[in-house]
Amino acid sequence: MNRRHSTIVTAVVAALMGLALLAPGSSAGSTATRTAVPAGGFEQTKSIDRTFVDDQGNVEKVGSYDLTVRADHTTDLRGRERVEVSWTGAPPSGGRASNPFGEKGLLQEYPVVVMQCRGTDDASLPLDQQVRPETCWTSTFSQRSQIAVSPYEALWTVDRYATDADRAPLSGADRLPADTCKEAQSDDTYTHVTPFVAASGKVFLACNRDTMPPEAAVDAAFPPSEIAAFTDGDGNGSVDFEVRSSAENESLGCTREVACSIVVVPIAGLSCATPTDPAVPAGVSAVLGKDCRQFGEHPSGSSNFAGDGIDRAVGPGLWWAASNWRNRVSIPIRFGLPPDACDILDKRAPVAFSGSELMAQAALQWAPAYCLNKKRFKFQLNQMPDQTGWNLMQTGGSPAAFVAAPHEQTGPDPVGYAPTAVTGFAIGYVIDRPDNAGVYTELRLNARLIAKLLTQSYPGSALGKGHPGLADNPLSLQLDPEFRALNPGLTDISSEAGATLLSLSNSSDIIQQLTDYIAQDKDATSFVAGKKDPWGMVVNPSYKKVDLPTGEWPLLDTYEPQTNDECRQANPAVYFNQLAAPVTTLRKIADALIDAWPNVQTRCVADLSAATKAWKLGRIDRQSYGARFMLGIVSLGDAERYGLQAASLKTSGGNFVAPTTASLSKAVGIARQKKGDPRGPFVLSQKDLVAAKSAYPGTQIVYTAARTHGLEKKQAATVASFIRIATSEGQRAGRANGELPAGYLPLRKSGPTARLWHAAQDTARSIEAQKAPASDEPKGEAAAPATPQAGAPGAAPAADPGAAAPAAVGEQQEVVTAQTEAASSTTALSMLPALLVIGMVAASASLVTRLMALRRRWSA
Amino acid sequence: MVVNATLTVVALLCLWLVVHLLFLGAVSHDRAQSLLHSELRSQLAGATAPVGPVTEPGAPVALLSIPAIGVEETVVEGTAAGDLFAGPGHRRDTVLPGQVGASTLYGRSTTYGAPFRDLDRLAAGDLIKVTMAQGKVTFRVLGLRHDGDPLPQPAAQGAARLTLVTAAGEGRFARMMPGSTVYVDAEAAQGFPAPAGLSPSVPESEEAMKSGTEALPLLTLWLALLIGLVVATQLARQRWTRTQVWVVGCAPLLALSWLTTDTAMRLLPNLI
Repeated sequence: MNRRHSTIVTAVVAALMGLALLAPGSSAGSTATRTAVPAGGFEQTKSIDRTFVDDQGNVEKVGSYDLTVRADHTTDLRGRERVEVSWTGAPPSGGRASNPFGEKGLLQEYPVVVMQCRGTDDASLPLDQQVRPETCWTSTFSQRSQIAVSPYEALWTVDRYATDADRAPLSGADRLPADTCKEAQSDDTYTHVTPFVAASGKVFLACNRDTMPPEAAVDAAFPPSEIAAFTDGDGNGSVDFEVRSSAENESLGCTREVACSIVVVPIAGLSCATPTDPAVPAGVSAVLGKDCRQFGEHPSGSSNFAGDGIDRAVGPGLWWAASNWRNRVSIPIRFGLPPDACDILDKRAPVAFSGSELMAQAALQWAPAYCLNKKRFKFQLNQMPDQTGWNLMQTGGSPAAFVAAPHEQTGPDPVGYAPTAVTGFAIGYVIDRPDNAGVYTELRLNARLIAKLLTQSYPGSALGKGHPGLADNPLSLQLDPEFRALNPGLTDISSEAGATLLSLSNSSDIIQQLTDYIAQDKDATSFVAGKKDPWGMVVNPSYKKVDLPTGEWPLLDTYEPQTNDECRQANPAVYFNQLAAPVTTLRKIADALIDAWPNVQTRCVADLSAATKAWKLGRIDRQSYGARFMLGIVSLGDAERYGLQAASLKTSGGNFVAPTTASLSKAVGIARQKKGDPRGPFVLSQKDLVAAKSAYPGTQIVYTAARTHGLEKKQAATVASFIRIATSEGQRAGRANGELPAGYLPLRKSGPTARLWHAAQDTARSIEAQKAPASDEPKGEAAAPATPQAGAPGAAPAADPGAAAPAAVGEQQEVVTAQTEAASSTTALSMLPALLVIGMVAASASLVTRLMALRRRWSA
Repeated sequence: MVVNATLTVVALLCLWLVVHLLFLGAVSHDRAQSLLHSELRSQLAGATAPVGPVTEPGAPVALLSIPAIGVEETVVEGTAAGDLFAGPGHRRDTVLPGQVGASTLYGRSTTYGAPFRDLDRLAAGDLIKVTMAQGKVTFRVLGLRHDGDPLPQPAAQGAARLTLVTAAGEGRFARMMPGSTVYVDAEAAQGFPAPAGLSPSVPESEEAMKSGTEALPLLTLWLALLIGLVVATQLARQRWTRTQVWVVGCAPLLALSWLTTDTAMRLLPNLI
């Protein structure tokens, strides 16, 4: 009675506090708090409780919570995007697992189960559009079904809210086919299946591994995203929940058209029915009644790394049980257009802009705003190294290029730079703090640490220790005293993934800027030059005095370790290249970080069944949750989209700057355009950026570069209209079509980006005008058509008046042209007459001599 | 006797050259045109006709038709003297006729069929029709240019410009003494898109009124064979009758002379 009293008091106090927090709104919390929700976000408060029914039928409330669930954004989601789901007022968790995802998270107490389900929580909709346990995705059958459980453990049958059907020995399905669900067909056991209903309507019974949807296969392409998350002692918790579109999970089938929800099921414990059920033997019901009324073995905040047993009444395995399911909060989510929407919806030929992947996330949102508007053109981004895109643009292979740095002009036509986006790169990372203390979010790096990673100066493992000169270097970043000084409290277990920074294999303006950041730093350059760092670490001799900065990072090491390892003997390879294993796109790096799956290629797989022992080297396993440590170069757009952490980089005065709106704005303020070149690029010198202390060194301005002369009129108009749309409509921050995604700093008419905005308009005008360059105007047009001076050696191609002096000159306007210098040839002039004359003369002379000879003969 | 024989040989040689240039060349030109025309026809029908920027020299690239002066010729790629034996040649550092930009065609005015003999009779407004891989284009002649005349106005955006070039003479014996060049400019308002990657220049031997020395080694070979043939006939003469030697020797002699002359003509300016 005492206990009951205290819980009531607690509940009342909690309710009062909740009301106080919500003031000055009405008691209908959801409407009151909606004002605080960011656009496209979600917030809902729900009262949940746990009740026991005793022998006499009295209902005792043993727990009551006011759960508030928030989500930061819910609209226009893309596949693999992460949504931050947070909650307050949930019961504190205990027995925390090291990996809460998928079935690894089953052995926890009082977690909050977060899943993605098809449908929305609206009773007015037809059943197939509603959220049900059958439409919720789990990646294993054990998360959704209880197969052949002893009657003493079938807790769901004593659920207070369970229907009669749920209390039967087989529930969830009318019957199980004998051939596929053998495990479930044993007598005197209880089975509950939660079938999965795929988007196609196909029903997967989920009674064993074989009756799950194909996406749930062991080692499927994507790791589990559903999570049994942890709530701290104050009832707060949050997860970055990764949503999957139909491209990633076809069975779940969430698209723009098919509404889905993120369902948050707080596990507050089963509510138990009266323990005396006449239908159940007394011994069984006594055990079930006792087990159902458990409050957990693990104290709140504790960990359960060993995987000890839990009180299943408060575990996540029964999330589908009626008393848990009724506590759910459904966050309706809506996906954006799939990336291939324009290809499907618009049959016109695309206008492909070539270049930087920094534009990928912006282009994803921008493209539909062009292709779905018949008055506009079909915009398409063809990702390629900046220099390749630039070259294509110069030769006319592409109307415009996206570049993130000034490039050398090698074509005959002048090129204008129109600033189109301010974004940049980041050193993305996924690092767990030791002892399950959560994700590390404050990584700080300096230029020398990046130089150490890029120059492959960490041996990585004992194999790399054999590399001449590297024997005394710390094995990986985790053991480097310099890194530990900047980032205290991290693990001191080395790993191969910690010895490398996953980077790009091809040329990129990002690599150019990153290496420029190293090059401006005195400590880093002297380290690369061969000087020991204060802790005695030296650069990998293969990279000693490597050229900095460079647009393309080379793989220079050639060390092949000598070991007794059969696999390595069968597959000799350069060890450090296997560690670095750079990839071709930033998206691949982002994917590797989302999955915490380093691209280190040192795993040996043996196929011993083969007649000849076959060994192969491959990518190492995904890192396990709680022990993740991986770094990679990502674009700011990807980092924001996929919820990746971005490291703070060191600037002068010991400051560390993370990519934020403020630090990007500051960097843009430093950018300088060359005087007298209003259509030229803005130069972001790393020296200036670092000296500015609070500017982010990874800031990059992406330009739409196009020829201001020599471009076809229609294309020129297209490019100009793109620049104008991109710098007006395209700079509204948001998630919808045509808006600017997070990770980009909007260009505005005023403020720090004003100069960029004006330069873009200026360049758009001159691209549209396609005027011949001013310096050539007086002479060039007159001289260039002087083509039929073909006789003069080295003259321009004959008769080029068309190509060289284009539309800049109006039709009416007479141009003073040069004089024709006709080719001539004395051979041509005199050859035929000469031949004729000589021929005639010789013929007549021969005739005369012949006649004379005849006469002489006659006279003789 | 020696003087007489020398004079006879010189006379024969000179007159043979004249005959070859003016008459026999026309025969070989007509034959080449007939072959080129059917080749281009089948390529156009099969959509395999070249669109540039790089085409094998000597291949047919377009059909040129100038009704005003009765020209109906297949244009070949390249403007070296040897290419122009077959018909008008397209200068390789310009776009193909009909494509946006400036295109230049060279043609002979006097020898080898003289396709551009009457070019100087064209007047502003005359039509020039070109059929090439991308379609048909009708050009309108802008005017005729001789040495010292101003160049035409720059072409408008998207227009195709065509310049025909041939040799021309002055005075009474203009036909026989083509020492200078004449240019005919024509324009079509709308051209076909031209592929990028045009060669920036051509060898000197392909410029107007130029000749190359590339044919010299071949010429040496033909002359050696000719000498060999003469020696052979002399030797044969000792065993056979005069008639037999003539019968046997005549065909090789004609063939070799023809080849030798053709090769030698490649040493002469390309536009005559």
